Amino acid sequence: MSLHRTDLFAGLVVTSLGLAALAGAVAMPRFAERNGDPLTAPGITPGIVSGVIAVLGLLLLLRAMLGSGPRDLPVESWPPGAARRTLFTLATTLAYGGATFGQMPFLPATALFIFAFTFGAELMRPDRSRTALSLALWAAVLAGVSAFAIEFLFTDLFLVRLPG
Amino acid sequence: MDGLSQFLDAILAIGLSADIVTVVWATLLGIVVGMIPGLTATLGVALVTTLTFTMAQNTAILVLICVYIGAIYGGGRTAILLNIPGTPANAASALDGFPLAKQGRAGDAMAVATTGSFLGSMIGMLGLAVLAPWLAEFALDFTSFEFFWLAVFGVVLCGQLTAMDDPLKGWIAGFFGLLVALVGQESLHAYSRYTYGFTDLEAGFGLLPVLVGAFGCAEVFSVMRSEATQLVRAKMGNVIGAALSVFSYTRTWVRSGVIGTFMGVVPGVGEDMGAWVSYAAAKRASKTPEDFGNGSVDGLLAAEAGNNAAVPGALIPVLTLAIPGSAPAAVLLAAMVIHGLRPGPLIMITQPDFFYSVVAMVFWASCAILVLGLALTRPLLWVLKVRREWLIGIIFVLCAVGSFAIAGRLFDVWVMILFGLIGFVMRETGFPVAPMILGVVLGPILDANFRRSLSLSRGDPVDFVTRPVSAVIAAMVLLMIVLALPPVRRGIGRMLGRSHG
Repeated sequence: MSLHRTDLFAGLVVTSLGLAALAGAVAMPRFAERNGDPLTAPGITPGIVSGVIAVLGLLLLLRAMLGSGPRDLPVESWPPGAARRTLFTLATTLAYGGATFGQMPFLPATALFIFAFTFGAELMRPDRSRTALSLALWAAVLAGVSAFAIEFLFTDLFLVRLPG
Repeated sequence: MDGLSQFLDAILAIGLSADIVTVVWATLLGIVVGMIPGLTATLGVALVTTLTFTMAQNTAILVLICVYIGAIYGGGRTAILLNIPGTPANAASALDGFPLAKQGRAGDAMAVATTGSFLGSMIGMLGLAVLAPWLAEFALDFTSFEFFWLAVFGVVLCGQLTAMDDPLKGWIAGFFGLLVALVGQESLHAYSRYTYGFTDLEAGFGLLPVLVGAFGCAEVFSVMRSEATQLVRAKMGNVIGAALSVFSYTRTWVRSGVIGTFMGVVPGVGEDMGAWVSYAAAKRASKTPEDFGNGSVDGLLAAEAGNNAAVPGALIPVLTLAIPGSAPAAVLLAAMVIHGLRPGPLIMITQPDFFYSVVAMVFWASCAILVLGLALTRPLLWVLKVRREWLIGIIFVLCAVGSFAIAGRLFDVWVMILFGLIGFVMRETGFPVAPMILGVVLGPILDANFRRSLSLSRGDPVDFVTRPVSAVIAAMVLLMIVLALPPVRRGIGRMLGRSHG
């Protein structure tokens, strides 16, 4: 049996998270100075839950080192172009959600994101039949219409205040 | 008889008012959401929740139940025509639905799925009407000990059933969800746990941003990671004839309806398992099990009746214990709380009218999927022709706006993206997401009831296992853990092998 690398890494992350959370729970106050019941201290439940996570993570780690446990995880069989598409999705969504949403007026930020996402994703399709110019036009129309529609739906129909 | 008259009153109240129009558009919206690969029932219910803030209480819940039932049904179309389930609950439907479509019987398959979903949903509705009042009355005697064990039971069982071949990862996901729920100010001493000075974390992670992230945003990443899909040419044929043919498989849909309802009741398990367990039971009971996987009408019917029956089944613990039976039911529970409703053991005493309204909502939503599903078989195919590249960007915007709209905080958008990334990594590395969500929902219940029980028992752990109901649930938790141990599983496998010669 060979080492199970994905589970080994996952086990390390889970065990570390469990131990860190356990340390945080132990450091929580018991409110003895306020005559608080030690059995209701805030760290009790997090301590037990994080302890269980650490033990389960350790079991996963041991199992991975022994090379047992189910294989064929999705991450181990990405189809062609999957990494490029995932990176593109991560970059555009993080840029929108983390940088422009709330920092720019909603309408241009959203239209810009939908245009960039649709145009970029279509360009990456190996079976695309349209030219880049035609794709850009379609993406621009889609971006404009959907940004206006979403703003109208939330702001005017459902009376939700949008950011930016 | 009192319950029956309240149920009939509720049916008339919806059927004879403008709410019937709401039933039509909300169910159609749910069907479209379910049909689009990448849009799950959970995401649909979560996004639509943000649109119901200004609606009246009952109308809002009616919209959400219609979207929920419509989405679970709509996902079957995608499974039949694209061989990819529109929602995870329709994975079993693809096994026989797609081969039927390839044989040129797509119309028959969609008709069978429609009638099966309707019948399954009706059986689930009966289960909801009969079981929920009984369970609510039984749960009136529950104390903090029982609620603590129910929370543990939910996380352990959900972790095991959603990761059948690897329960260890299911449990890790469930306990991680519990830990996530413990972030923020706790209820007994108002102490802020794991906030590290961030004021935005004082209120903890909001359930809806976490849900939209783990299911919606993660789905955006997963869909873009996969290759594009091809649509099968759909031949319609005699849709009504195929729909009526379901009645020659009465045993299958009744069995699947009952199984689906009970799988729905199990905390956090829901529609996916309802479909798979019904499918497996139909295969075992079939005289031609070799047809399963090659275009068996029996198999498709079992899967569709099973997943739709699980929807009303999942509402049983939501209404009576405030514990969700599935991930979309968790969102529905959150929506009920947002709209000022208080599900729990007291529901049959304080809000019996609301309970029977929910049963009537399930009834009308089920009727709507039958009528819309059969009448719009051909027009609904257009939904599947929309390219994913055109949709995914808009879906992400809806995820962001939906998360923001709940409290008007940008922090919730970042939480949504964070849990989107966590959910994506979990899926890719074989960790199921559903137990994490159940853990987030059950975390506050577990925490408050555990510390209350400790205080009541003066720290004596014996009290946790001496009350009859607590003892039974604790024994079931222990049994599940023991049965999941590899040496025990191997031993059971050997024994079964020997008994079958």
